[in-house]
Amino acid sequence: MPFAETSLREQYAAAVERVAGRTLDALRGGGDPAALVEPDAAVPRPLLAAVRLLGADLLAPSLFGGGEPDPATAALLAEARRVVPAPAPPSEQAALVIAWQDWAAGRLLVRAGHAEAAPRPAPLPGPEDLGWQAWSVRMSQLSVLALPTLDGPVHDAALAHALALARGTVRSMLRRDLTTAARLARWLAWTEAEGRRSRLDLEPVLDRIALAGDGSARTGLELALARRLLDRARPSDAEGGRAA
Amino acid sequence: MIDTHVLATAQRFGSRALTWLHAAHRDGLGRIPDNTVVDLATPNDAYKPLGELALAASVVLRDGVAGPAGTRAARELLDYAWEQLREGDLLYERQLRHVTMSDPLELYGHFARAGYRHPALDDLLESIGRLRAAHAIEIQGNRRLAIANARRLIGLSHQPDWAALTAGTWLGALPEPWAVEWEIAYQNTHTVFHLTDWGAHPEGLPEPIRDYLHDWLPAWLDIWLEIGQWDLAVELLMVDACIGEPITGRQGWDALAAVQRADGLVPRDANDPVSDDREEAFRENQHTAVVAVLAGDITLARALGADAAAA
Repeated sequence: MPFAETSLREQYAAAVERVAGRTLDALRGGGDPAALVEPDAAVPRPLLAAVRLLGADLLAPSLFGGGEPDPATAALLAEARRVVPAPAPPSEQAALVIAWQDWAAGRLLVRAGHAEAAPRPAPLPGPEDLGWQAWSVRMSQLSVLALPTLDGPVHDAALAHALALARGTVRSMLRRDLTTAARLARWLAWTEAEGRRSRLDLEPVLDRIALAGDGSARTGLELALARRLLDRARPSDAEGGRAA
Repeated sequence: MIDTHVLATAQRFGSRALTWLHAAHRDGLGRIPDNTVVDLATPNDAYKPLGELALAASVVLRDGVAGPAGTRAARELLDYAWEQLREGDLLYERQLRHVTMSDPLELYGHFARAGYRHPALDDLLESIGRLRAAHAIEIQGNRRLAIANARRLIGLSHQPDWAALTAGTWLGALPEPWAVEWEIAYQNTHTVFHLTDWGAHPEGLPEPIRDYLHDWLPAWLDIWLEIGQWDLAVELLMVDACIGEPITGRQGWDALAAVQRADGLVPRDANDPVSDDREEAFRENQHTAVVAVLAGDITLARALGADAAAA
């Protein structure tokens, strides 16, 4: 085993970084995330857990390429969801977040021929119930939904409360929680791709997080996805506009 | 329409802070030592705090929403501060000696707001206002606005270029809101206070800055409440009142009301315990009391439309 000397936690963390890094490469045009695994070989469990954790983001490279989910990557994600159980939620709210993350992955997998779509989870409480602070943190945990071709009530909420997302981004930056800030900036970039001008200038935010953030591939992936969404927001991009 | 819970909280918060300030000064705290000369080796000890006291009391009188007890306390505090400054003689002598020093001008502005005048100081300031030197001193943008507002209150003939002065502030640049720091946040609050003359003229704030504060004030308030910077949080609530329709809601008022002590003292922050020594407790928390009085008063006055009294 390549991780024989490390703790289980470190093995899983390293696997998340590998999968995120691979997805990042794919987004930049370097193959697909399924290349992480040997064909016909058993996939190590930490890798499967990482694939499950990153969920729908694994398929981001194909979505930004304008195509359907890459079949091999979709198969890997479907395998991970079969083998690795969903994380145990510490609260009802956390369970809802996990359900929405799973919903996003499920929606894309259905399109790739893996018939396992989960029913649409209950709607999340909005900022008027949770306060913009707690709501924006919740939305940051759902940044995986901010992908082209995904749409639903969470997306509607992001558009309806873009200022709360922007305040949440600023709050996270000031609290030095740049991981949350990156995920919220990605949502704001998504709203820009939907034609909604953000009250917060996003380029400097992304630059700042790239320079001062944790430097992880996972955060790098959030930033890269945000930048790709911002590219779509530019009027010259024919792919702009809300996806069906 | 402003939340009545916020109004009730703001009113109680401010009037208790005023009671605390009044009691402290009645008992002789914060006096200028008898042997003080115009050079003031330590102007921050008593002299500048008296100016801040005059600011709070003069705004309370201006707005006229404090009720009989509050109005009486404010009047007594102003009389007391004016007497401490020897009916303005101390300001006059200090300004006469130091041509380009701005603190006598700024302190006098607060008294002038409430009708306390010193004719010789008026003449002196008018004369100094004609000097290029007076306008050439190198200071921060928000401090320039403080001086401009003092000149406006006193009624000096020099007319500042408000737009140019505003452009020279941090807020004037509408910067990335996540780049704010503790000291910058204080500078920003003062930019708003001077442009609006402490809430009397919300329209004195250019619309882009008002929109900017509408967007980001809640985030700033939230993070400084989280780390218990009560003094700054009170200033941010005052900004919220000065810009028109308040945006931050109950969060700040409830948090600050919860840390105010029964005697009205508001601790300046959550890091340092309030001293058991009354004089030290006064010295360290008097600024927070001043801003508490102002924040409560301006919030109430704006909501009741009492700004007309300022005209």
